[in-house]
Parts: sequence; C-alpha cells; structure tokens
Amino acid sequence: MYVIVVGAGKIGFYLTRELLAASHEVALIERDAYVSATAAEEFGSILITSDGTEPTVLGEAGAERCDILISTTGQDATNLTACQVAKYSFNVAKTMAVVTDPDHVPLFRALGVDVTISTTELILSHVEEELTGGPFVHVLPLRGAASGIVSMRVPSGSPVVGQPVSRIKLPQGTLLTAVIHKSGELKPAVNDPELAADDAIVAITPPEKEDELWHALTGEARR
Amino acid sequence: MTRHVMIVGCGRLGATAATALLDRGDRVTILDTDAENFRRLRPRVRLSMYVGDGTSHEVLRRTGIESVGAFIAATGRDTTNALAAQSARTTFGIEHVVCRINDPTRSEMYERLGLTTVNPNQLLIELVLNAMEQL
Repeated sequence: MYVIVVGAGKIGFYLTRELLAASHEVALIERDAYVSATAAEEFGSILITSDGTEPTVLGEAGAERCDILISTTGQDATNLTACQVAKYSFNVAKTMAVVTDPDHVPLFRALGVDVTISTTELILSHVEEELTGGPFVHVLPLRGAASGIVSMRVPSGSPVVGQPVSRIKLPQGTLLTAVIHKSGELKPAVNDPELAADDAIVAITPPEKEDELWHALTGEARR
Repeated sequence: MTRHVMIVGCGRLGATAATALLDRGDRVTILDTDAENFRRLRPRVRLSMYVGDGTSHEVLRRTGIESVGAFIAATGRDTTNALAAQSARTTFGIEHVVCRINDPTRSEMYERLGLTTVNPNQLLIELVLNAMEQL
C-alpha cells in the first residue's frame, strides 16, 4: 500500500518506521524544519519538509495514488484539514486522524475522517482498567458502525466462570469474538471455550449495551 | 433586526468585522487565544470578549454559541478557521457560517463541502486587477 503520513513527531516517526518495516511505501510530510532534520537522518528521501495540509504539497507527494493518509500531528485542526484535503481533493480512499480533544471525535467522523484515534480516550480507558481492575477497554471504534471493539477481564467471582461461551446471555447486537486466556492463548469464540477467571474477552458491542455486557460477564452492575 | 454573531479571531479582519456589526446594531461575542488582540476593540455595550480557543467545543459552549445566529471564523490560520467553522455548522447547527480561508486551492474544496469561505487575498487580487484595467 501507499501511505502518506502527515507529521513526523513521536507518533508519525514510529508509525512510519513500522509501515516501512511492513514493506509499505510511505511518504512522510513534516512542516517543521528542525523536526524534519531529525527524521531525515532515519528516513532520507521519503521525507518531505512542507505543509501537509496544502493541496499542492499533497499533490506532489502523490496523493492521487495514495491508499491511505494518516495525519498524526498534535494539532486537531491540522489533522482534520489534511484528511479533508486528501479525501475531497484527491479522493484518497481512507483517512485517519489522531484527535487530541475527545469532543472532536464525532465531528471528525461527520466531516469525512474515516478513522479517528483519540489518544486521550485510549490512555484513559487503559488508566481505568489499571485503576479499577476491570471496566471496558475500548480497543477500537468501528468505522461507520454504531459499535466498537471492547475488551474486559472476567473477574474470579463471576457467574460465567466455568461456563462455555455459548451459555452467556449476551445483550442484543453484541458479538463475543474471542477469549484470551491469561497465559496469552487465544481461543476463538466459535470453538465455544469454557471461561476461566482472569480470561479476557474481546467483543463487538454498541456503546449503549456496554452496561448489559458488563453485567452478563460479572453478575454485577457496572459502576 | 438585531442579530447575535460569534467571531473567532480578533485580528484585523475579526476586529473590523466586529466593529462593523456593532455599528449596525448587532450583538457580538468575540474569542481570541491572545488577550492582547482585544486592544483592537474598544468596550461596547453589546460586545463580549473572551480569551479562549475557538476550536474547543467546550469553550464555544461556555461562551454561548448555542444562542448565536451567525458565526465567523476569522483567525489567520486556515486550519483553525476550518475546524472552528465546521464545528459551528455541524456540531452546533449554526445556519450562517463564514470561514476565512487564505489558500485559494483549499477554499474551493470547502465551498464544495458547503462552507461559505472568504479569501481576503483573492478579493485583494481582484480589486488590484480591476484597478489596473481602469488605467
């Protein structure tokens, strides 16, 4: 795939490195000359020192044949503009934006950003998990769907411990896809594995069914 | 008819627009991240000035966006204006939204997306060209 990454800060830098390692073709655009100089040492000619929100710059970077544009700067306004220019001036099939202000997430979706990565929400959900030993980790909101991928741990006192997956009364519209044993072993739900304490489950669920799913897996009301 | 207009950015364009609207009898709420920029305006009865980021929905809500009838994004940065204007229109449902966009190649895209854009540079160029034809 051909990927354009806007912003060579921490996220853009390591993302580009991973994409190249996975044999993707990448162009990395960074406006700041100082940041760009550091990245140039690692990436050489794929680095473009310019403003990734400008149509001429994206055009020169080959946006017409780009499969996905990912905007990773710390500025929500910049990330939105880069994605909109890519989508509406160059018909880029997929656009992704890092979003700092969680309030902007629904707006960005409505304005043509296919995938939003809210760093704040991601960190917060992990903090919640660490602190309380268990609510949902929102792994990924699904594009265009009202559902998201969530993960949670089955507590030891749960009524579902020892039960096969098929016996769990899941809320409507929720799909339990896999169970991950604490050893790390992945058990697909189609094999109907038996749940053990501290197993993690991965499910697809609409946000309004999260409380019900929590109840089904813990026997308790969600705090 | 008195309107209530919110302006983001108190640079020359924002301040001049605010003054013109106030002179017509409109109410104006103006936001800027730098309090220094409010020196461009003198206190008026129907003028509210707030230091704050006009791309933050929380700031927009707290400064009363839900009660305005029109919105102008007038900072010097296209990206900021585009985010503020599209927030006003899509998130808060403001009907009359004007967005300053300096880059002509981008303003064409925003127009296609249904945003009313104003390009000061383009206006100036047209005026200069017109003036030259009169020579």
